[in-house]
Amino acid sequence: MTQVLLAIDTSSGTAVAVLVDGKVVSELYEDNSMQHAEHIGMLLAEALAKAGKKSSDVTAVAVGVGPAPFTGLRVGIAAAKLFAEGVQVPIFGVSSLSAIAFLEPLDEPTLILTDARRSEVYFALFHEKTKHGEPKVILGPGVKKQADLEAELLASGTNYKTVTGSIKASNIGLLALAQLAGGTLESQVLANYLRAPDAIPAKGKKVSG
Amino acid sequence: MSHQIRPATEADLEFIMALEKLSFGRDSWSKPTMRAELLAPHTFYLVAYLDEKIVGYAGLSKVKSASSADIQTIAVDESLRRRGIGHELMEKLIAQAIQLGASELYLEVREDKTAPQKLYESLGFVVIDRREKYYQPDGVAALVMRLALSVQGLQEPVVLGIETSCDETGIGIVRGTTLLANVISSSMDQHARFGGVVPEIAARAHLEALEATLQKALHDAGLSINEIDAVAVTNGPGLAGALMVGVGAAKALAVAIDKPIYAVNHLVAHVAVDVLERGRLETPTVALLVSGGHTSLLLVRDLLNDVELLGETIDDAAGEAFDKIARVLGLSYPGGPEIDRVSKEGDPKAVRFPRGLTLPKDQDKHRYNFSFSGLKTAVARHVELAESKGEKVFVPDIAASFREAVVDVLVTKAINACLDNNVPRLILGGGVVANARLREVAAARCQEAGIELRIPAFSLCTDNGAMIASLAAQKIMAGEAPSELGFGVYSTLAI
Repeated sequence: MTQVLLAIDTSSGTAVAVLVDGKVVSELYEDNSMQHAEHIGMLLAEALAKAGKKSSDVTAVAVGVGPAPFTGLRVGIAAAKLFAEGVQVPIFGVSSLSAIAFLEPLDEPTLILTDARRSEVYFALFHEKTKHGEPKVILGPGVKKQADLEAELLASGTNYKTVTGSIKASNIGLLALAQLAGGTLESQVLANYLRAPDAIPAKGKKVSG
Repeated sequence: MSHQIRPATEADLEFIMALEKLSFGRDSWSKPTMRAELLAPHTFYLVAYLDEKIVGYAGLSKVKSASSADIQTIAVDESLRRRGIGHELMEKLIAQAIQLGASELYLEVREDKTAPQKLYESLGFVVIDRREKYYQPDGVAALVMRLALSVQGLQEPVVLGIETSCDETGIGIVRGTTLLANVISSSMDQHARFGGVVPEIAARAHLEALEATLQKALHDAGLSINEIDAVAVTNGPGLAGALMVGVGAAKALAVAIDKPIYAVNHLVAHVAVDVLERGRLETPTVALLVSGGHTSLLLVRDLLNDVELLGETIDDAAGEAFDKIARVLGLSYPGGPEIDRVSKEGDPKAVRFPRGLTLPKDQDKHRYNFSFSGLKTAVARHVELAESKGEKVFVPDIAASFREAVVDVLVTKAINACLDNNVPRLILGGGVVANARLREVAAARCQEAGIELRIPAFSLCTDNGAMIASLAAQKIMAGEAPSELGFGVYSTLAI
C-alpha cells in the first residue's frame, strides 16, 4: 500500500507537506506568525491537491509539537489531531527543533535556536545522528535568553555552531519517517510548551483607601 | 397494464418532441433545445412509458454549486392524465433533487393552467411570485412555485459543531432540528485557584480535550465520522487563543472528511438552541445572554438574517461579577452557584446595592447596556468598611443583596427591550441562566408584562457545541453557502 504521510507544523509560519512513500511531493508554507488559524485549512487542501491525493488516501499524520509560541503551535496540533480523527489514521508528534537539526550534518555539536519571543530563544544542542538519521540531543530542549545560554555553553567549554531557522513541514515528515525506522516515533501528541501559563493565583485587592 | 418510469436517453428524443408539441403547442421547445436538455450534465430527465410507448416525461436541473434545483418541464399524454403519472414523475424528481443536495425546488407554471397548479400544490409547492407576460406569444403570466425540501423533513443535514470560545470544549451533533449529541468538557476546575478563566489554561485544555470530546459525541449520536454532512465552528466572539484551537481543528476535520464548513457567531448560536427544543425559533424575540464572558441583549427578528445587538456590558460580564464577589465573600469558584447557595439564607433587601446604568440620565445612551464594575466595588467597599469597624458581615445577606441587584438590572433591561420593541417573547441563554433567582424573577416579571419566557435546558444554555451545529444546520436548510476555508478568528466578532 502506498504510504501517504501528511506533515503539519505551525511553530513559526503555517507549514504543510505531503510525503508519498518517503518522497516529498508537495510542500506549502505561509510565512505569517499570526494567521495560522486562517491559513491551515487552505494549505491542507492545496497540499493534498498538489500531491494528487485525496484526504482519504492519507495513511498517517505527523505534527511538530514545538517548543514554539503557544497560540500558533496549538493550531497545527489541533488540525493534525482532528484530521487524523477524520480519516481514522495514526498521528505522531515530532520535536520542531529536531526537525531543523535533521537537515544539518551534525558532525559537530549544533545549537538549534528558534524565536521564543519575550527576548528569549527555544534551543536544543544536537550532535551526531543515529543510523536512521535521527538527531541526537545532548542539551535541551529549553527556553532562555540567548546571551545567558551562550555564556553557559562557553563556561562548559563546548564548541558548537549555531543554526537558526524556521521549520518546513517536509522536515517534520522526513524526521517522523526516520523515527519510525528507529522505533522512536512518539504516538502521544503533547504540545511542548516549556513555559507555564502566565497566571498568578488571585489574592483579591482592596478597593477602599 | 400500468405505466413505468425510467431515465430518458437521447433515443427518446423523437417521442418526447411529439408529446412536447401536443402538450405545449406554441410554447414548445425546439428539438435542438430538447436534445441539449436531455444531454446536459446538470439535468436529469425521466420518461414514463406504457406498452413501450412514451406517455410522459419530466426534467430537473441542479447545478452542482447551487443549493436549489428547478423543475424544467413536465408533460403527460392528454388521454392518460389523472392516472397519477404526473404525480409519480414529480415525486421521483423531488427525490432526485434531495439526493443531489438541493434544499429548495422551483418551477414556473402558466397562470391559466389550473390542473398542473393543483398537482404541484398537492406535492407541497407554494406560489412565491408571479411573472407578468412570461409565456410568449400568448402573453400569459407565470406563477413561480417553490418547495422547501428541508421544511418537509426530507433533507436534514447532520452537522457537527465545535465550540471553544471560552473554557468549555463543546462538540455537538444535530440532524436538522434534532439534537443527537452534546458533549462538554470543561476546564473550570483548572481556573478555580485563579478566581477566573485564564485564557492560556483554557486554550491548552481545549487542545487536550478535542479528540476524546469528538469521539464521545460520535458515540452518543451513534454515528461514524463519515456520516457528518457539515462541520461548524465558533469563530467569535471569545478568547482568541481558545477560538483558534477550535477553528484549526474544524477546518482540518472538514478537509479530512471532504465536507463544507460553516463559521458561526457564538452569540447568535445561543439563540439557535431553541429550534432543538421547539423545532423552530418564534420570532421576533429578545434574547438575554448572560455568562462569564458576555452580557448581551439581542433583538432577533430572523435567526439567520436579522439579529441586532441592542446592548452589552461596558465593563465586566455578569458571570465575572459573580466570581469576583464570591472571592470578596470568601466563597469558592465559580461564584454563581456559591452565591446562589448562600443567598437562600439571606435577605435580598438587606443592602440596597447600586443598579448600573439604570438612572434616567443613562437611558439615552445606555438603555440596553450593562455595567457591573460599580456594583462590584460597592459590595467590596461595604464588606471592607464593616471589617474595618470590626463588624462581622452576614455573608448570606450580602450575597442575596448583590444577586438581587444583578438580577434586577438584567431582567428590567430585558423586559424594557421587549416592551420598547413590541416583542412578545424573551429567551435566556448563557451559563448564568443556572442562577435560580434570575429564572424566578424573569418568570414573574415576564408573566406580569405578558411576555412569553423561554429558558432552554441548562446543557443548552451553557456554552456547547450543539448550539453551533444547530445554527449551522439552519443556515444549510435555508440554502446558505458554506464559509470559505480561509476565514479568521475574531475575539470581538460583530453580530
